[in-house]
Amino acid sequence: MDESKSYQVNLNIFQGPLDLLLFLIKKEKIDINDIPIAIITKDYLEYLDKKEKINLERESEFLFMASLLIHIKSQMLLPRENISKEEADPRQVLVNQLLDYQKIKAACSILRKKEEERLHEWQRTTFPVSYISEDTEFSEVSIFDLAETFFILISKKGKENIKIIKGKDISLKEKTREMLGYLQKNSYMDFLDYFNNQKTIREALISFFCLLELIKTKAVIVTQKSLFHPIKVWLKKENNRWGLT
Amino acid sequence: MGPHLKNIIESLIFVSLESLSLKKIKSVLTEFTDKEIEEAIKELLESYSSNNRGIQIIHTGGGYLFSTKPENDLWIRRFLKIERKNRLSSAALEILSIVAYHQPITQAEISSLRGVDSTHSLKTLLHKKLIKITGRKKSPGNPLIYRTTKKFLTYFGLNNIEDLPSEEEVLKLVDTEIENR
Repeated sequence: MDESKSYQVNLNIFQGPLDLLLFLIKKEKIDINDIPIAIITKDYLEYLDKKEKINLERESEFLFMASLLIHIKSQMLLPRENISKEEADPRQVLVNQLLDYQKIKAACSILRKKEEERLHEWQRTTFPVSYISEDTEFSEVSIFDLAETFFILISKKGKENIKIIKGKDISLKEKTREMLGYLQKNSYMDFLDYFNNQKTIREALISFFCLLELIKTKAVIVTQKSLFHPIKVWLKKENNRWGLT
Repeated sequence: MGPHLKNIIESLIFVSLESLSLKKIKSVLTEFTDKEIEEAIKELLESYSSNNRGIQIIHTGGGYLFSTKPENDLWIRRFLKIERKNRLSSAALEILSIVAYHQPITQAEISSLRGVDSTHSLKTLLHKKLIKITGRKKSPGNPLIYRTTKKFLTYFGLNNIEDLPSEEEVLKLVDTEIENR
């Protein structure tokens, strides 16, 4: 009884038919060079009987194994006219395959041990950088630069002949949250890109107010590498007054 | 030469995210001779292995890398709020060892060695960058061929592919397993 119980549990770790055969061989405590096919086949059929539910995918692999065993056995039973040395024992193919597989299993256990050792050693996966990295030595831009860029954008947007059916009203607070969320996710925001992506002028306008508000409260910092370079908005690290973490 | 060069190399290893190879160090430190650099690295490694520090320099993936000492694992995990690190599934590990020992190898060859279809786990390993596609085999159908990556070496703490347990070691383990039956 105990035996059959552990049998069931162990089956969960099987990956394929070779695993099954290895397991059966271990269970019978036999040399793989001398596979008693009848016993293993019987064992396997017993196992199938015991199963309540059948996992088709796995069972088909097991069935493959079983049929292979039966095929080998039938070949052994059939009398052959000329037994050449080359095709001496049909079991040999299986034995070779099993030996190869055992080697793989052994290599696995060695690699698993190494993995285990390495899992206790930690490396940094990212270099801890401040919110402005070394390639971005920016100068702060004035509100006027910002405003100018914004109005250029707005006039561009205005030329797009789009009729709005009914814009969704977005509150300043909502937009601020959205913007801060964006900053937290992307580390910085390209000023031009961000406003270009706003759906309506109204929304862009609200975003702009939000940005001004954020600058005023020193929640964000706005930088530009030099004239005509993209203007970037950065989140100031320690600021948390908007209740976002 | 001297402590100065040693310090420079230490800093280079510190800022490097992947294992820093000797070749790379040499290409950066053009003022120094190869011999000076090698000596300095040796000194650096010695000072780390003799010092009782929380970090160590490990020689893996064909280069040098800072890592924490294994005995501090418990507290690091507590600090990073990581219960335990994910291990590879046994299917993935099996494929990985097949690729490692039989590379370059095709998917069909892997599947036939295992006696089971390996498509899914192969994808996972590719995604984890532990194996890579290096080309196509010149055989019917031109199947893709796979090899292990540098990340594979670092993952298992191996310095190069020759560092893998040898065939004899593996066979010895197989033998003891058969005896233990």
